[in-house]
Amino acid sequence: MTAASLVFVIDDDQSVRSSLKFLLSTVGLQAETFESADSFLHRKPADVPSCLVLDVRLPGLSGLDFQRELATRNIYIPIVFLTGHGDIPMSVRAMKAGAVEFLTKPFRDQDLLDAIRVALDRDRARREQDKEMADLRQRFDSLTSREQEVVSRVVAGMLNKQIAAELGTAESTVKVQRSRAVEKMQAASLAELIKMIEKIKAPSEKAS
Amino acid sequence: MTAETQSATQTSEQLDLQMLVETIPAMVVCALPDGSVEFANRAWQEYTGGSLQQLRGSGWQAAIHTDDVRGFVEEWNASLTTGKPFAAEARIRRADGQYHWFLIRKALAISPNRGSDSSLRTLIACEDIDERKQAEVRLQQSEIQLHAFFDNSPSMIFLKDREGRYLYANREFKRVRRTTEEHIDGKTDNELFPAEQASVFQASDRQVLEAGVPIEFEHVTVQNDGQHTSAVQKFPLFNADGQIYAIGGIVTDVTERKREESARRYIEENHRLIVETASDAVVSMDDTGAIRFANPATMRIFGYDPTELIGKPLTVLMPEFMRKMHDTGFRRYLASGQRHINWQGTELTALRKNGEEFPVEVSFGELTRDGHKVFTGFIRDISARKHAEERLRASERTLRELTETIPQMLWSAEPDGAIDYCNQRVLDYTGLSAEQVRGAGWMKTVHRDDIETMARAWTAAVSSGEPFQQEFRCLRAADRAYRWCISRALPLRDQSARVIKWFGTVVDLHDWKEAQQALQMSQAELARVSRLTTMGELTASIAHEVNQPLTAVTNNGSACLRLLANRNLDPEVLRRALEEIVADGTRASAVVARIRAFIKKAPAEKSELDINEVIQEVLALAGHDLGKNGVSLECQLTTTLPLVRGDRIQLQQVLLNLIMNGMEAMTGVTVQPRALSLESRIDESGNVLVVVRDSGTGIGSEADRLFTPFFTTKAKGMGMGLPISRSLIESHGGRLWATANSPHGAVFSFTLPAAGESPS
Repeated sequence: MTAASLVFVIDDDQSVRSSLKFLLSTVGLQAETFESADSFLHRKPADVPSCLVLDVRLPGLSGLDFQRELATRNIYIPIVFLTGHGDIPMSVRAMKAGAVEFLTKPFRDQDLLDAIRVALDRDRARREQDKEMADLRQRFDSLTSREQEVVSRVVAGMLNKQIAAELGTAESTVKVQRSRAVEKMQAASLAELIKMIEKIKAPSEKAS
Repeated sequence: MTAETQSATQTSEQLDLQMLVETIPAMVVCALPDGSVEFANRAWQEYTGGSLQQLRGSGWQAAIHTDDVRGFVEEWNASLTTGKPFAAEARIRRADGQYHWFLIRKALAISPNRGSDSSLRTLIACEDIDERKQAEVRLQQSEIQLHAFFDNSPSMIFLKDREGRYLYANREFKRVRRTTEEHIDGKTDNELFPAEQASVFQASDRQVLEAGVPIEFEHVTVQNDGQHTSAVQKFPLFNADGQIYAIGGIVTDVTERKREESARRYIEENHRLIVETASDAVVSMDDTGAIRFANPATMRIFGYDPTELIGKPLTVLMPEFMRKMHDTGFRRYLASGQRHINWQGTELTALRKNGEEFPVEVSFGELTRDGHKVFTGFIRDISARKHAEERLRASERTLRELTETIPQMLWSAEPDGAIDYCNQRVLDYTGLSAEQVRGAGWMKTVHRDDIETMARAWTAAVSSGEPFQQEFRCLRAADRAYRWCISRALPLRDQSARVIKWFGTVVDLHDWKEAQQALQMSQAELARVSRLTTMGELTASIAHEVNQPLTAVTNNGSACLRLLANRNLDPEVLRRALEEIVADGTRASAVVARIRAFIKKAPAEKSELDINEVIQEVLALAGHDLGKNGVSLECQLTTTLPLVRGDRIQLQQVLLNLIMNGMEAMTGVTVQPRALSLESRIDESGNVLVVVRDSGTGIGSEADRLFTPFFTTKAKGMGMGLPISRSLIESHGGRLWATANSPHGAVFSFTLPAAGESPS
């Protein structure tokens, strides 16, 4: 399907790793396999949509511990958990921590592929969101500090006159600065500008 | 008479001479100056029975004893020539041929024709001195005898006059003084003895002189051969006037006698002491049967004071029934010398003063004194010995009864291994007679398949002297069934450690063996249940182990199906996928097989195995759980271990139990690292040692209770893991124990005997 995506597989069992890679290849998914969590951490982060297929029972760090570890490192990668035995408390914890899916070995191939697709989609969406936010922030950063002050007061719902009074400037000046900010932010309207600024101000509402 | 004759002849006439001579009642011969006989009177003629003609000249001399003739003639001739008076003693033959001593002497010389020598007649009178001569001879003989006595006396005998001068000393005196008669006679003690001794002798002499009675005393002198003791008797000799004219002395050396006396006294004293202090009663009896002596031990043994027994018949010391027998036997002995009982160590019954009868051992001795027999008996109270004998007999009886009633088969054998005894139980059990069992007869009862091993084991024991032990099947007569028995035997050795006897037992083990098998079965079952429990705890791991290959299989299978659906038919890709499917399928089935083996219901089956292999197999089961729990595992396995003899599954179970325990003990641990180490090596005794160390919470004060069934520190534990593990190890002849680890945790160790050793 989408060549520009990558599936990371971490399993201590060589057969499982190679068979997964083979299966994913049949649906055009490129996979990279790792024997342990550590070896995965040594790889530089991928710049394409990717996801992690992780065995819960890993030598050394367990799967769930690894999930927590990634979070503390601000690595946001969707995880599909595999387990040898249905362990409900474990799966609940994993799902709460944001796992995409929790599959019991052996699983139906389609279930895994579906979970991987969901995970990749989620990662792709996150990546697009991250990119949009980065653009907005870049544009916002291109505003002068006076323009940023004005814009933030506009978003807060203040009138031009009020803003001018507060900043000790003329109302006409505030109007010019506001229209320049709309232009710089490439907003179609004042309403769109307000939306953009609100996105920037609350960036961590949706993590992944 | 001679004087009378002389005076008569002086007054008578010459012619009357012959007539005169005839009237002399003595025998008279008239001799001429030349010495020849003129005539002899009638008394002479009657005495000698010879005629006058026969006497004439010197013919009369024929009547004189030939031994005396020579002396007589010499004397006669001398008298004729010198004219000195003639006297001689000679024997003259009487008419009957007997000789009598006569004193023959010149009685009277008559000269009828004065001045003419030829007319001189000499009358010779013959006086019969035979009686005096006989007395003289007797005296002489008696003197000789006395001298003989004195000289042969072992005592010194002497005679001294009042002034102390020696008149006589016998041979012994001279011998002791080493001197001769000349040196002694007339000498005094002062000249013969040292001054000190002499004064002692003289003092005693004075005593005799003053008292006038014999005295006796002992005197000690030192002679060349040492000190001598003498018994001295001194006595006065009186003359006809009752005056003491001499002192006699008899000195007897009594040194030897003294010594003998002292020795005899010593022996007697010894004998007395022995008798007085003897623990046996010593009783003497005279030939009337009356007691004459009893020693102090009699009091202790019989209860009689020795003095109250004196004079009583010996029979008071005997019970009634023996008295008559004794009297009869005693009388017969005195009469015939025939003994009615043995005199040495005869066991009899005796009677105490208090009426109690008791056993004694009696020995007799007999002594004849002054014609009377004295019998001495030594009587020993053997009640204690009898009791001991009785006890021994009772103990022997008990032992014999024990050997016959003990519910076990007993036997004994000669040093060469031949059976010489077995108790009734053996005979009952085997249905054989004592004769049939003897020697090697017992072999008939041994199962055909066991005969060879049995015979070999017994032969080995007999030749080495080592204890014997062998299990075998024995034919029981009651049901004609072969039953498992065990026979054991130990050798009895003499002081030089040589086997003199074998004592053995046979125990029917059959029921026990069956029970043991049942017990083993239930133990095995319990162990299996425990394994199932362990499996339950391991499900996650096991599922993982099985699911991994299954996952690979399904992945590969699904992939292949997708390739087929897409008509993407690269054979190389498919082949590789299918190969992996086969490999993973095999792997999964191996895991399942291992698990099945672990929980299968099977009796213990011992084989020689490498404990390291067992450890690896267990790690294959549990290793994953260790990883899951964040436990690091360290293995120090010695590769050159000897094999052990054991049941693989049971040993796996023990190891798994110890590993899981260690792992669980570390689940609560967050501070220190969770580390489990496994070690295998040979211990000091040559056993294989396996050590499992953890860094968990440790065993604390619970160490003692760890192996108690149903004791557990775990919330979900059954408390059977360690007790079962220990019983499994012990059934392998090994040991399982727990110690504390440093700085944290516990150490569980177990040993297994190396397979080279004899399996117990």
